[in-house]
Amino acid sequence: MKKFRLVLLLITVGFLAAGCQSGSGNGGGSDGEVEFEFWAAPNPAQEAFWEEMAEKYMEEEDNVSINVTPMPESPSSEAGIQSAIAAGNAPAISENISRGFAAQLAESSGIVPLNEFEGYDELIETREMEETMSSWQFTDDQQFVLPAYSNPMLFSWRTDILEDLGFDEAPRTFEEVVEVGETLKEEEPDKYLWARADLVKPNWSARWFDFFMLYNAASDGNNFVEANELVADEEAGIETFELFSEMAEGDMLLTREATDPFESGDTVMMDTGPWTFSYWDDKFPEMEQGETYELTMPPVPEDSDIENPKTFADTKGLSIYASATEEQQQAAFDFINWVYSNSENDLEWFEQTNLPPARDDLATNEAFTEFLDENPELQPYADNIPNAVPPIDSEQTAEIQELIGTEGLNPVVQGDKDAEQAWEDVMNAIDGVLE
Amino acid sequence: MDKSNARLGWLFASPYLIYSLIFFLFPLLWATYLAFTNWNLIAPDYEFVGIQNFIEAFFSESVRAAFFVTYKFLGMFVPIVVGGALLLAMLIHSLPKFKGLFSVAFFLPYLASGVASAIVVNGILSHNSPFNIWLRGTFGLDIDWLGSSILAPLIIALMMAWKFAGYYALLFVAGLESIPKDVYEAAEMDGAVGIKKFWHVTIPMLYPSFYTVTILAVGLMFGIFTEPYVLTGGGPDLSTHTWQLEIYSQAFERLNAGYGTAIAVINSIVTFGSILVFRKILEKWGAKHGWE
Repeated sequence: MKKFRLVLLLITVGFLAAGCQSGSGNGGGSDGEVEFEFWAAPNPAQEAFWEEMAEKYMEEEDNVSINVTPMPESPSSEAGIQSAIAAGNAPAISENISRGFAAQLAESSGIVPLNEFEGYDELIETREMEETMSSWQFTDDQQFVLPAYSNPMLFSWRTDILEDLGFDEAPRTFEEVVEVGETLKEEEPDKYLWARADLVKPNWSARWFDFFMLYNAASDGNNFVEANELVADEEAGIETFELFSEMAEGDMLLTREATDPFESGDTVMMDTGPWTFSYWDDKFPEMEQGETYELTMPPVPEDSDIENPKTFADTKGLSIYASATEEQQQAAFDFINWVYSNSENDLEWFEQTNLPPARDDLATNEAFTEFLDENPELQPYADNIPNAVPPIDSEQTAEIQELIGTEGLNPVVQGDKDAEQAWEDVMNAIDGVLE
Repeated sequence: MDKSNARLGWLFASPYLIYSLIFFLFPLLWATYLAFTNWNLIAPDYEFVGIQNFIEAFFSESVRAAFFVTYKFLGMFVPIVVGGALLLAMLIHSLPKFKGLFSVAFFLPYLASGVASAIVVNGILSHNSPFNIWLRGTFGLDIDWLGSSILAPLIIALMMAWKFAGYYALLFVAGLESIPKDVYEAAEMDGAVGIKKFWHVTIPMLYPSFYTVTILAVGLMFGIFTEPYVLTGGGPDLSTHTWQLEIYSQAFERLNAGYGTAIAVINSIVTFGSILVFRKILEKWGAKHGWE
């Protein structure tokens, strides 16, 4: 009986030990060495960049050990981070943090303010990102995220199709967009202006690439929510919904899944990020800027400033986690400070990922001139970084944006609500959430 | 059984028991506790909120949708997958040779990643896919497959049936192989041939397989996530909004982990209750045919 109990005890201890083993490797090292975990975005190019940076940094700093690993996606990177924090396995630092998610993490004290670290002001100055950071500031004046890249979302227009329709240039106003759409449906009834299946889906994150692109343009970048209060621009909101309503009524929107409709010429416009170009290089080499397509900032309502419109910034950055020790937090900050103090590292990032570094001087700094000359399609992204508005910084971002979809955009596109009713319903629903 | 045999049994069962204890029982107890809190998975502090999460879930439109959508999926998926698997099994069983090869071939979809399969289905049903172009060109049919609240769940059910039919067919093949030949001979002597033989001999004799397959299929429907997540996001109009989508959305997108856990607890109770009902129905049917 004793032997049996001993065997059972050993098995139990073995399993418990295996189950409870921490795999984070996130502890401090011996002899003054600091060891920390860096979670890179689950994207081979970004992971390779951070691995290379960590190796170079460790060559210079003997007492720092950085373990770069891709962040788990189960099923999203945000869910992976939350699970890790709950399980006590969070890294010291990670990238891929959006402003909305940072607001959620900050509200729960999951991340620490970066502006309190020694060397923060020098970093912002050296990297030339004062203007970019001003739009990232949280309502409590803290900075919880250091933006790594900023994609001002643009629209691509099939200029070859526009020319066939009799338009010399891409539309710049809402009215011109509708005019192009109407002409298209008259000439080519089977074609559509814009294919976007997400327009009728409630997915909250999809609103960044439809509603917010046009709302930011219409409102000149007016905030939607500030300090948990709704401050959205009513006129701009209604005008945005009206544009969607007119496009839907004119059968200009393809709200079904479609494979490469823009590239195949079935549609004329597309919300476009810089990640698109490597795909086009591989699959659609005939897509040539200036010949088949043109990139523009989002259109604006009549009587708005068409020269300098605003757009949504698809931007993510780095955050340092509260669960790390103070030594690890400072070491992690020193590492990103070292990376961003050299514009060559930003250039390398840009070359490897095609994602524009979040710098105010991207379009003017000579370090990037040659690369931008070789890749002219990225130039409009570099030019418009100061015009790009990051996501709202509310911990209720997901609920707010879901309501913009379910109460506003989805029914407007499906023809179930008019623009004014939809805006009123969205405002009332969001007010209920923010109470 | 003597004591030493009992100990040996416990010893061999202990790895699985300990595994279940660590990975199922403890998380279940922890989740039940969390369901009564307002924890968001991140904050160091949280409060005990009593049954507030359960009351909120009870009145939630999306939770209600998840409840009914699951039964809608059940109504579509279970007959399709059971019928399909039985058909495949009969086909494999009737083959003169290469039964193993075909069994493996039909089993392969089970191993396919849900995300990959959903992306393929999305491609096939996309507006400009060859299939849809052909439908429009030949019949003038322009169908919004995933935008219809009737078609979208049916497509997900069909996709899941394609994935699981081969796996369930293996269970039916095992059942068919185990039916003694003399039962058929006796039935033939009594005049049962063709469809009669199938209906009155094969089907009742397959009761153990039917039981297993049906219970597995019913349980599966309460845990659907990947396919609707990739294909429809729960839409249109919540027509494919499942329990798991609701739990994920609450716990990981809105950071309402306590509330999400309460929904998970309700989900497990509903799942347990539904399986119990199906078991009773199946057992009643089995008892009618001599299976006790």
